[in-house]
Amino acid sequence: MINLKLRLWRSTRQERTMALPNQEFLWGIFRSVDRDGSGFINTSELQQALSNGTWSPFNPETVRLMIGMFDRQNRGQIGFDDFGALWKYVTDWQNCFKSFDRDNSGNIDKSELQTALTTFGYNLSDNLMNTLVRKFDRVGNGTILFDDFIQACIVLHTLTSAFRQYDTDQDGVITIHYEQFLGMVLSLKM
Amino acid sequence: MAFQSPMPSREFLWDVFQRVDRDRSGFISADELQQALSNGTWSPFNPETVRLMIGWLTKSFSGMFDRHNKGQISFEDFGALWKYVTDWQNCFRSFDRDNSGNIDKEELKTALTSFGYRLSDSLVSTMVKKFDRHGNGTILFDDFIQACIVLYTLTSAFRQYDTDQDGYITIHYEQFLSMVFGLKI
Repeated sequence: MINLKLRLWRSTRQERTMALPNQEFLWGIFRSVDRDGSGFINTSELQQALSNGTWSPFNPETVRLMIGMFDRQNRGQIGFDDFGALWKYVTDWQNCFKSFDRDNSGNIDKSELQTALTTFGYNLSDNLMNTLVRKFDRVGNGTILFDDFIQACIVLHTLTSAFRQYDTDQDGVITIHYEQFLGMVLSLKM
Repeated sequence: MAFQSPMPSREFLWDVFQRVDRDRSGFISADELQQALSNGTWSPFNPETVRLMIGWLTKSFSGMFDRHNKGQISFEDFGALWKYVTDWQNCFRSFDRDNSGNIDKEELKTALTSFGYRLSDSLVSTMVKKFDRHGNGTILFDDFIQACIVLYTLTSAFRQYDTDQDGYITIHYEQFLSMVFGLKI
């Protein structure tokens, strides 16, 4: 039931996933993002480079989550070797976001979010959708911006994967011990 | 609790408050609080701990702190904040047996046991790994506060479902999601 098809969805809809551009193109972007010329992109450089379509700073939590995903050497920053994957990831998310933002408002409302999550294979109650919007709506007007949308999807994916590790019979219900619960939540990267 | 300190005089608190309130706004912001606090090293005080502390105080005094929900603290609430930090300092020092300024795995285990937790060695190791921001296997003052608040929050959330108190809970996927989304950690 809780069928996570995000990756599958992204790979089967080729028009939504970008091919990796050539190295010179990436190197040009990398150098403009790497403001201090250190050869690495840190959290604040990435945050400044990204836009959520408003004048407000890009959600630092989303930046932290993205660095955590692509920083294979655990350096807390991104070298050029990991940059291509990060660039593709952000671009794919942009296209994904645009395709669900039906009215081109630059944000996603509750029903657009529900459509997006249903497409990804989630089957969530109205109640939980409200919780999600409340939790990830940083601006407080009942809608979700691009950066918050990425955060919401990553967190939901992380939690669902953690849950599924215990839900071996896939009935949507788990029984866990106190220490398992603590270990599970403490090891979540969120 | 053995770590309780008496409330100092109003003049003393006013003096401290004015030094912490750098922009003289009459309120202490999360940034000002972070700059005022020390973890005993030259590294900045853990911003997560500052956030948790403000959130914690807001909740435990049911709206007494941060009345206007601006994420900052006025002088009338400052006494309780001062006491809270001081009590944590005394608590930390009492478990830092070798006065090293940090707490190792054994000291953390002693501290948590005295708070009433019974955790396996492997979970205490997980906690050290999680909250050791400097990567040397020990926990500084600010990270210690964070670890204790997070553990308390998770335990309370678990207990709400563990009605028969057998240490096991059975929860549905959506309950699990709401539970974790609701955690202020």
